[in-house]
Amino acid sequence: MNLGIRAALYTMRKWKKTLLLFCLLLSVTTLVLSGLAIADAQEEQAEEVRQTTGASFTVQRDLSSGGWSSGSGGSYSTQEFMTGDMIQKIAAVDGISGYDASLITLPRIFKENGKELEHENYSFYNYGSYNSQYHKLFLSGRFELIEGSHITDDMADGIIISKELADQNSLKIGDTLTGIYYPENNTPAVDMKIVGIFDVVADKDDQLNMYTDSSYYDYSSFVFCSMEAAEGLIKGWGEDGDGISEAYYYVTDAAQLDSVIKEVRNIPSINWNNYTITANDEVYQNISSSLTDTETLITTLIIVITVVSMVLMILILSMSIRSRKREIGILLAVGIAKPAVLLQYMLETLLIAMVAFPLACLSSQQVAGTLGTLFGKTAENVIVTPQHFELVVIAGGILLVVAILLSCIPVFRFKPKAILAQME
Amino acid sequence: MNLWKRAFLYSVRKKGKTATLLAFLLIMATLILTCLSIQSATKTATANMKKALLGYFTINARRLDMGITEETLDQILDMEGLSGKYTLRSYSYANYYDSDGTSLEINTEDAAQIPEGYEHAGRLIANSNSGEDSYFTEGGLELAEGNAITSENGNEVLVHEKFAKRNGLFLGDTILLGDPAKKNRTIPVTIVGIFTNTKEQDSIGMAPSYDLYDNIVFTNLSTASYLLYGAEDKTNVQYGDFYVNDPDELDRIIDETKKIPGVEWENCTLTRYDKDYQNAKESLEGLQNIVFIAIAVVSVICFLVLSLFLALRIRRRIHETGVYLAMGISKCAVLLQYLAEVFFAAVIALFLAYGTSSAISDQIGNRLLSQVTTETYETIDLTQDTKAAEQPTKDLGLSEVIVHVPTQNYLTVWCSDLVLCLASTALAAYPIMKMKPKSILSQMS
Repeated sequence: MNLGIRAALYTMRKWKKTLLLFCLLLSVTTLVLSGLAIADAQEEQAEEVRQTTGASFTVQRDLSSGGWSSGSGGSYSTQEFMTGDMIQKIAAVDGISGYDASLITLPRIFKENGKELEHENYSFYNYGSYNSQYHKLFLSGRFELIEGSHITDDMADGIIISKELADQNSLKIGDTLTGIYYPENNTPAVDMKIVGIFDVVADKDDQLNMYTDSSYYDYSSFVFCSMEAAEGLIKGWGEDGDGISEAYYYVTDAAQLDSVIKEVRNIPSINWNNYTITANDEVYQNISSSLTDTETLITTLIIVITVVSMVLMILILSMSIRSRKREIGILLAVGIAKPAVLLQYMLETLLIAMVAFPLACLSSQQVAGTLGTLFGKTAENVIVTPQHFELVVIAGGILLVVAILLSCIPVFRFKPKAILAQME
Repeated sequence: MNLWKRAFLYSVRKKGKTATLLAFLLIMATLILTCLSIQSATKTATANMKKALLGYFTINARRLDMGITEETLDQILDMEGLSGKYTLRSYSYANYYDSDGTSLEINTEDAAQIPEGYEHAGRLIANSNSGEDSYFTEGGLELAEGNAITSENGNEVLVHEKFAKRNGLFLGDTILLGDPAKKNRTIPVTIVGIFTNTKEQDSIGMAPSYDLYDNIVFTNLSTASYLLYGAEDKTNVQYGDFYVNDPDELDRIIDETKKIPGVEWENCTLTRYDKDYQNAKESLEGLQNIVFIAIAVVSVICFLVLSLFLALRIRRRIHETGVYLAMGISKCAVLLQYLAEVFFAAVIALFLAYGTSSAISDQIGNRLLSQVTTETYETIDLTQDTKAAEQPTKDLGLSEVIVHVPTQNYLTVWCSDLVLCLASTALAAYPIMKMKPKSILSQMS
């Protein structure tokens, strides 16, 4: 009888044994596949955590390498300002997820009917902004956008205002406001459309500030407008004295901050003598060791699972082979060659594995999902990829063959007669 | 023969089989115990992360007549969930005199206006640790000489370099601080440090004289308390920032704070600051879920594999069962014998598992994990001409991540493993026991 037929017949005849072995293989493979999927998912998740730490770097004018001049308001630096072109160039570097810079103006703002807005201060404290969601006041949670959208770099004339100001002047999203820096000096009037409204979370009454010029303004008098609009406010008038002196860049992965900064420093068209870069990844530094610990723990867990699964497979197979000692004796006695017997056993196991492996692929996905939902935890990112499957099939196949080989050796050392005699 | 003896003899006679069973049980128990110890370690790591994200709330008691008193402070600090890290702050204005009582000169040139009565006065800032004040951490002030003020009590002061120069003051000199509103309160203080500013104050020309960097001083909380409240041996403060262990508990802690009696909480402003945590919250939960799912998958499959294995074992012994039954041994006794064999093996395996899993856990703990308690947080070393953000070495008070097998888990594994072993053996034996000895034996041949 052909050994293929023999293997198939045995598998079918002893269907209960086959079923048990199948279930064991299925469970162990499911375990390994889930482990691999979980390992990938945790890596992704850890990266996501690092992304949320807001690691950033600041590019600012280097006041120490520039000259100084004095005017009516005291001395000021004559160091060159940052240009829009330069800011965009840096923002285009790979690994930067967002950026913002501020052009500060102190305009007075009028309604469509020409009436000046009522508020706490004489003028407004206006941040010309590229992407206001990356502005410090929003990132630190002191302000919170509650309606509409943030200013983005593709907006030409957007403005976002405080809720208090909106309520006081019955303004709503879509209304047009006109800003003029110095109405008495006929500086340009710039029309801006309200695109968002923010709420003030911070306590302005907290005297914790460094008495920078913004601290003399009430938070409700803070506005953010598109960079283009802010530039329009000072066009032909205050361009010499006002400019962008610093820009903030947020990186996608805090662990990459170092290399992103290096890349930025290699931009040839920027004269780095005039600018400094300051890294800021305090939040990431604070949690990085704990995050690494978690990553290490999960990875170890997966390694332990994989190793144990391999040992289990070997144990199970050697058990199943050892229980067939008598059969081996008979097969050898009827003159079937040892390699043929070995091959038959391998074939039997592989027949089972052929069904068990693909099924494990499905079940591992199910197990993670079901267990997750059972305890109300989502794990969408636990996904078994074809690579995982490939790995398990190849490694699993080799392992099975080796395990059978190893468990057959002690039996094969004896003559058929000795084996059968031993059985009695 | 007694069934216990039979079980024992079988275990001894079939050494290979017993060893396999023992190995199997040992591996399973070790795996589950290791998983559980890893899970508890991840919990600590996640709690550390939550703590390191520094969620805090600020009490603004400026409008209270006596601010936050020491008694109130003690009650707040006694609350559960606070990390123990806190900053107290007070702000006021003070007239400056030299030790003879002569008024000292301030910078008036860059001021937008010099408010009446403040011609020789400046802003007074008191912080639990002057080096951690936002003027130093964000505003660009830097200590040029001497030391920061780190104690609540004492009569120390930090002055600006230009102020010291203008008035011919040096480290160790004594000046007098007086309250501009209530002129009778003055307090002598010693200059322990001189600071300078690395950034230009951008509000020059807009700020009143007392807010200019040249004119401000930093002092102890007790000095500010005396000037503000006239409290001589008690330190009352205007503001407190209290850090919590778990930012998720901020709401509860704030609510509980408001219940502390004897304070007009309606005149205080309590603000929560946990933006960093809110940003990271979802991803952190995702990470925790992954650990949980990993453990759940391992446990479920381990139990499954274990019961399958035991079933396989029993099925191999159909012949033996038939012989026993034919010999007139009751089904119950046969079943008990099988159970006893598994039981012996399981007890030994579970004892050994404690040792093996502890050894594995120790290895993980010692070799792989960063030891947070001894670790200092340093900024990454960037290219030479890039200024690294100034971050002083911080002690965040994180707990050490210890991987060890918790006793409670051990007991759980003990009980569940034993129950599982016995249940799956009994289940696997059930179909065989149902049969008559004759049919069992005839099936065999």
